[in-house]
Amino acid sequence: MVETALEIVNASAGYAGRIVLDAIRLSAKKGELTAIVGPNGHGKTTLLKAISGLVPVTSGEIRLGGARIDRLRPDQIVERGVIHVPQGDLLFPAMTVHENLLMGAYANSGGLADRLDFVFTLLPKLKERRNQTAGTLSGGERRMCGIGRGLMAGGEVLMLDEPSLGLAPIVIEQIYEVIFNLRREGRTILLVEENAERIAEHADIIHLLDNGRIVWSGLGAELMARPEIIETYLGV
Amino acid sequence: MDVLIQIVASGLTLGAMYAVATIGLSLVYGSLNMLNMAHGAILTLGGYICYAAIVHAGLHPALALPGAALICAAVGLLIYFSAALPLLRAENFETNIFIATIGIGSVIENLMLKGFGPYPIPQPLAVDGQLVIGNVHIPLQNVFILGVALMLMVAVAVLLQRTSAGRAIRATSMNRDAAQLMGVRVGRVYAQVLALSGALAAVSGIMISSIATLTPVMGGDPMLKAFIVCVVAGLGNVYGAVVAAIALGLLEAATQYVFGVRWSFAMLLLLVILVLIWRPFGLFGKQQVVRL
Repeated sequence: MVETALEIVNASAGYAGRIVLDAIRLSAKKGELTAIVGPNGHGKTTLLKAISGLVPVTSGEIRLGGARIDRLRPDQIVERGVIHVPQGDLLFPAMTVHENLLMGAYANSGGLADRLDFVFTLLPKLKERRNQTAGTLSGGERRMCGIGRGLMAGGEVLMLDEPSLGLAPIVIEQIYEVIFNLRREGRTILLVEENAERIAEHADIIHLLDNGRIVWSGLGAELMARPEIIETYLGV
Repeated sequence: MDVLIQIVASGLTLGAMYAVATIGLSLVYGSLNMLNMAHGAILTLGGYICYAAIVHAGLHPALALPGAALICAAVGLLIYFSAALPLLRAENFETNIFIATIGIGSVIENLMLKGFGPYPIPQPLAVDGQLVIGNVHIPLQNVFILGVALMLMVAVAVLLQRTSAGRAIRATSMNRDAAQLMGVRVGRVYAQVLALSGALAAVSGIMISSIATLTPVMGGDPMLKAFIVCVVAGLGNVYGAVVAAIALGLLEAATQYVFGVRWSFAMLLLLVILVLIWRPFGLFGKQQVVRL
């Protein structure tokens, strides 16, 4: 039995009275790649924001290693080790790549040099660009900088929101290679992705999120064997 | 040549004072989107506290200045907890805080009016003597002001660029959500920025009153100019604000010499209009471009 890292128990959340997440129940196991797929605008991003405290959870619970985190401030949640790499990167554009990475380690600056080495080894492009401001990077480099910044925090759970968004196919491949490598190293990853096919082979479990609810959960191979589900929910 | 030295010397002094007054305003706008209309009153308060500390409490001037800065930092914190924090929880923060700080400024101004009276008082924190370059006599006071201002600007730059707290302030002003996802407690950043802004306002108030006089409404003019500097530089851009402040100080000194004092403000506004036609987001401001 693999230990559960992050557990979401009947969590609902929304903006200004509109419910976006309706009693979500899922968990991310330690060392596994948990994927959430589903059409756009159906709550995938809101789910990650609810976990990281940017969107308030209106009912239900979110637990990390058994302890509730859903009433905490975003900074406290980061401190406990839930790291959210947001959609569209949200880099600090006027800061250099190096400063962006330092910001990643803001809440947890122990072992800074080692982690910087690790990120630069994993994403050598960032080392080349370390003194360039983040606003001048290409789309793929920005994504790598966003992921690198997330890795700088160390952390228990790494949440990635659509790391393939807006990138060229070849760059998407590079980004996913990095993510799958992290999985092989034993990182706990919660990944949001629109394209189920892209991650079907590597994800330990896939949850299908539609209209704020989890409508299907299972292995990637199972999902790929169910064309009717893919057609209904993912419109492929 | 002598005239040029004179203009540069007084322009730099003016610019340095404007810069110190502007940095705080710009930092606060950059991180909270808050136009602090009480900034001028805090600046005046700093001048009066320094005066009271030296004349009434008999404190050494070297203690009066940091003391005044400390008290005004506390006033900044007070504004955070009494006005910014509750208003941040509601909608329309930018409008509400604008009005709230006008009120706070007015209260502080009237308290000073009650306490110290409406008549101009000389600022006792002054340095005698002058520096002679060729035929030009520059009051040591101006040199002193320039020195303190430069020290403060370097200190703020080091804070912002080289420390973790400073990076958090910059990160918050660039993207509040992203800063939170890095573990930055933005409420703390807001409080720090308002305190820092209060301290800087106090020092600039002391500087300005030391070459003019102390009156309860003396903060209005430097605050107006600080706003102008902020707008010219691009709201929230601290380094741009320093450059713009010094440039405007030099321009003001030159205009005063060439056209006369009464033209200096008109000239300033004319320049602002031209700059904003040319670059609507300010000289160093950038239009927010969202790329996916």
